[in-house]
Amino acid sequence: MNNKFRYFLTYNNAFALCAILFLFFGVTGGQNFLSGQNMLNILRQIALDVPPALGLTFVLIASGGVDLSVGSVLAMSAALTMGFQSHGILLSIAAALVFGVVVGVTNGLLVSKGKVVPFIATLGTGTVVHGILLTYTRQQPIAGHDVSFTFWGAGSIGAIPVPFIIAIVMTCVSHIVLIYTQFGRNAFAAGGNRESAFLAGIGVDNTQCIAFIVSGCFAAIAGVLIASRLNSATVHLGADTPLWSIAAAIMGGASMQGGKGSVIGTFIGVLSLGILLNGTNLLGVQTYLQIGIKALILIGVVVVDAISIVNIRKNLELQAYGNRKKYS
Amino acid sequence: MFDNHVSTGQKSIGYKLTRLVNQAVSVLTNTPAMLMLGLLIIFGRVASPVFFTYQNLLNIIWIVSVLGILSLGQTLLMITGNFDMSVAYIIGFAGIATVLAQRAGAGMITSVVVGLTSGALVGLINGLLIIKTKSNAFLITLGTSFLLYAVSLTITRSKTFYATVPEFTMLGGVKIFGVLHLSTVLFLLLAVTLEFVLRRTVFGRSLYIIGLNQKAGELSGISSSRIILLSYTLCGMLAALAGLVIVSRNGSTVSNSGVGMEFQSLIASVLGGTSLFGGKGGTLRTVVGVSVFGVLNNLLILLNVPFEAQEVAKGLVFIVVVWADGAFKKYE
Repeated sequence: MNNKFRYFLTYNNAFALCAILFLFFGVTGGQNFLSGQNMLNILRQIALDVPPALGLTFVLIASGGVDLSVGSVLAMSAALTMGFQSHGILLSIAAALVFGVVVGVTNGLLVSKGKVVPFIATLGTGTVVHGILLTYTRQQPIAGHDVSFTFWGAGSIGAIPVPFIIAIVMTCVSHIVLIYTQFGRNAFAAGGNRESAFLAGIGVDNTQCIAFIVSGCFAAIAGVLIASRLNSATVHLGADTPLWSIAAAIMGGASMQGGKGSVIGTFIGVLSLGILLNGTNLLGVQTYLQIGIKALILIGVVVVDAISIVNIRKNLELQAYGNRKKYS
Repeated sequence: MFDNHVSTGQKSIGYKLTRLVNQAVSVLTNTPAMLMLGLLIIFGRVASPVFFTYQNLLNIIWIVSVLGILSLGQTLLMITGNFDMSVAYIIGFAGIATVLAQRAGAGMITSVVVGLTSGALVGLINGLLIIKTKSNAFLITLGTSFLLYAVSLTITRSKTFYATVPEFTMLGGVKIFGVLHLSTVLFLLLAVTLEFVLRRTVFGRSLYIIGLNQKAGELSGISSSRIILLSYTLCGMLAALAGLVIVSRNGSTVSNSGVGMEFQSLIASVLGGTSLFGGKGGTLRTVVGVSVFGVLNNLLILLNVPFEAQEVAKGLVFIVVVWADGAFKKYE
């Protein structure tokens, strides 16, 4: 029983947290929190945080590293979407996505061919992108002038927000890619044990490179959605995106050791953070305290994750020891 | 650290000379930051008449001394293969603790002790969390940094507080021998002392062994958890010291006065050649890394480069140095 509970905690951190938070705010927040409109609000709010977190999950699985450039990429692609709008909406979206892919390729090459630690490489590219962003926008907000474009970020189909539908589709596609395709299996193998993956004939470098490209591209998609939601772009967008995306991915079962993680878990992780933010806002909790609560949850999740991994390792060792005794 | 050769008998002058050249080359290839610093200084000499003046060079080292003191602690941790993202908010928190102690009537010495202790305490908590739960240092210290930010904001209600002890605020402007600022002297002295500690004491040697192979270190009788705890405490204390320098310079404190410095200190250490995986590095190397940072900043300002382009330039230099570090290693 105890063992089962530990396993559940290890693989379902985010689910448990999400359920607890939902119950807590459901009880304390009452009708305000549980109303349909508020639920839709939460879904709309989290939808914009999902794509970068999904991208980071890919990077964490394939390399165990993090991509700290997603915040700058998000802001830059939002700026490009707004800046290029006069040339046509399709072109502006294409420009934003291409930019994300270019940054992703740079990150991927630095990490896989240049052998730079992902953390450091993406910190560098993030700084460069931020500089480009400041130059491009001249530190002014850029406003859009085509109202029909706001459909993608602010519109709804029936009652369901469009960005949420996009986020769900992206999550499902990512899940299928990670579980059922060759690339997905390669990613898990490359992140789990680089050496043995290489010896098994997997193109480790290519796999990691693609993971970074996915991350850049997803950050760009989030940028387009945010630009569409606000119908404007500022340089301050995405400042703490990387950190909370990493937190969500880790909550969802990804690990900084690599080779572990699930996009559905990540989605639930983002959802828990969204519920937390919404619930504390509804209860009128001070901003200072909100930061503190978020920090405590981050620490708690990381600690639970670490302890359960240690326990599982111990159990496996015990099992192996038992087997050895049985067969010797 | 293992390049201390024991000389056996007499060697010809030619042999000694080649060895000297070899060593010089290996120092240069081992620390691309040294090369970069040399290139930047030569470039600055040519490009700007003001750059290579006595006063300007002193100013550079004075300006980076806060980041430098912070990076020294970060380097110690990085040698063990850990790092601390909470230093940014320790800077603000220690400053607030000091100023609040002064407002409560504490004298200069007491308030400084309070500030340093608060930093050490946060470091201790970080270390305890990490060694007890074996969780990822990056995420845990990120968590404690946000927690610390929340605490600082709650204590101060996001107001600015002013230091009340006049001697304390004077410290920021004091010059030793009339030339060197106190913080510069503090930074350089600490760097030399810590380099000595790293190379010649049991504690320093243990840091490298833990970074290279923790298991082997433990099997050879090193209490790795105690040493990691100690280095986290030291790192927190040095971050607090950096915070005190800022407060003594400005005379006032803000909760987020150190934001961004956690990444900068990591960058400075990595630039100097300290490895993120542990087992390699030194505090004198970090001085070089921090100097690259300072010289680059100074040059960009002297050459009237617009702020936006400065960011791009800094990022590019950083990427090039780190990439070169990896490339040299492959070449070897």
